[in-house]
Amino acid sequence: MMFGAPPSVTRLIETLSELPGIGPKTASRLTFFLLRGETDLPLRLADALRELKERTRFCSVCFNITEADPCPICSDPARDRSSICVVEEPLDVLAIERTEQFRGLYHVLHGALSPMEGIFAENLRVAELLQRVQSGTVTEVILATNPTGEGDYTAAYLLSKLRPMVARLTRLGRGLPVGGDLEYADQVTLANALDGRQDL
Amino acid sequence: MHIRSLSLENFRTYTRLELECPPGPILLCGSNAQGKTSLLEAIYCLSTGHSPLTHVDRHLINWTAAEQDMGYARLRAEVVSRSRALEIALALANSQTRTGAQRLQKQIRIDRQVRQPRHLTGCLNVVLFLPQDIDLVAGPPAGRRRYLDDTLAQVDADYSAALDVYREALRQRNALLRHLAERGGDASQLDPLDARLARSGVVLCQSRRRLIADLSRYATRIHSELTGGQEWLKLEYHPNFDPALPPGLAYQMPMGELSGPPDGISADDLVNAFRAELDRRRKDEIARGMTLTGPHRDEMRFTADGVDLGTFGSRGQQRTAVLALKMAQREWMTETAGEPPVLLLDEVLAELDMQRRAFLLAQVGQVEQALLTATDPTMFGADFLSRALLLRVERGIVGPYT
Ligand SMILES: [Zn+2]
Repeated sequence: MMFGAPPSVTRLIETLSELPGIGPKTASRLTFFLLRGETDLPLRLADALRELKERTRFCSVCFNITEADPCPICSDPARDRSSICVVEEPLDVLAIERTEQFRGLYHVLHGALSPMEGIFAENLRVAELLQRVQSGTVTEVILATNPTGEGDYTAAYLLSKLRPMVARLTRLGRGLPVGGDLEYADQVTLANALDGRQDL
Repeated sequence: MHIRSLSLENFRTYTRLELECPPGPILLCGSNAQGKTSLLEAIYCLSTGHSPLTHVDRHLINWTAAEQDMGYARLRAEVVSRSRALEIALALANSQTRTGAQRLQKQIRIDRQVRQPRHLTGCLNVVLFLPQDIDLVAGPPAGRRRYLDDTLAQVDADYSAALDVYREALRQRNALLRHLAERGGDASQLDPLDARLARSGVVLCQSRRRLIADLSRYATRIHSELTGGQEWLKLEYHPNFDPALPPGLAYQMPMGELSGPPDGISADDLVNAFRAELDRRRKDEIARGMTLTGPHRDEMRFTADGVDLGTFGSRGQQRTAVLALKMAQREWMTETAGEPPVLLLDEVLAELDMQRRAFLLAQVGQVEQALLTATDPTMFGADFLSRALLLRVERGIVGPYT
């Protein structure tokens, strides 16, 4: 007769394996690390995870991750309400905020168009963006999706939708490494790209 | 150009091979299934980034190595061309996806820098001639399109880039059409993909048209020499949709005669014509859930005195047509790249009569380097054997021929 690990151990291994980039081997290693330690790390981790789930939500305006709704950016009276920067992921907002070059608002799509991977317009926050632009006082939309095939595709699609609604449509300009992700671009490059954004 | 050295690790029958390759003819001798063809296959992989024999990269990894959990293969060649020397390396290795599934990763390095497959353009030009290439005449059209793509992508960087864009746009577009057919949704998501498909598709069409016209010119002359002027071989391009042939003009220009768009038609006009056709068929394509128009459905035909050799040619006629095609490719590549490609001839002599053998061996004298395989070296004349480096291939080991 064979004995496996106790059910509580197996459960954590299986749960960790659901995370991106973590296979069964890494999941086991992490689990046994947590078991061995004398510290309160497992409990602190559990608290952090619970808080993450209970306290965060998507901003109902820009769909960034936030604890307060609307998010601090959307509710900041000093931000320029006539300009919206459209990005793929919440991490891209952080990257652009770090440059301190942009004082407008954001819109997080939560992905980019890729039919091969089953991602279509209805799976992204596209309808919400169009509604926001139509009902607001927006005069510029910056399409800051990644300089990848999918990012360019998404930008071209949004361009045709937004063209009749917005005075100025721009795309992040020169210097961004083609095929890369916005979140990995360094601050100077990203600031230059914002500064050199091109009218579409 | 020529290959100075070739090294293989866990590739097909080869667990390990280090081979110095001098310029001139190299004759690989040995019984069947000892690794002669695999050696030519490896060189082709380094030239194009993929095998001519299988779509499944996993099959390229040595079977024993794969069994022992060494799921990788490495290929490397030093290539000397007129202007430079460079190193091409291709590695296949198992990696785990985030869902834990096994995936085979392919990595290409040129002079140790990681590059995309399309950057292989111009690094190592080859003409490969396999016994089964007779299927180019009589087999399904996909083989002919692959031949055109591989031939152009070896020497034309713009074509390689357009081919990448076209394939990606086509995959995305087909996935979107399937989704629209099954679930519906915003059909204007097609627009940006249509634009990409049209722009890259026109590059493919125009390049293929020029290539086929050029190859046909060389092949006609070569074929006429081979047949004593008895037959007139022609290669014809039959594009699925020809943006250079506006419907209104179609009746004036017979198919296959056109070597370019009519005067006064720009590349933009062609792109617009392609897009108009995509618009016209959009409803139909959504209903069918697939892309029905474009160079992924192109066709090329071989005719002798106007008769289609794919349908009506004898085996002998088809074989001669392929020989003429491959030797036309050698001339075209020499002219386009400014130096001769490496010839890779797999067991093709056995199928030919004395006259055609002599012709093919004379062609070997026209290139810097040729690798030939044979089970029986005696079919090569003493004169040729005295000029060639003879090697014996036995169970994945290459040694001197005694
Ligand atoms: Zn917000």
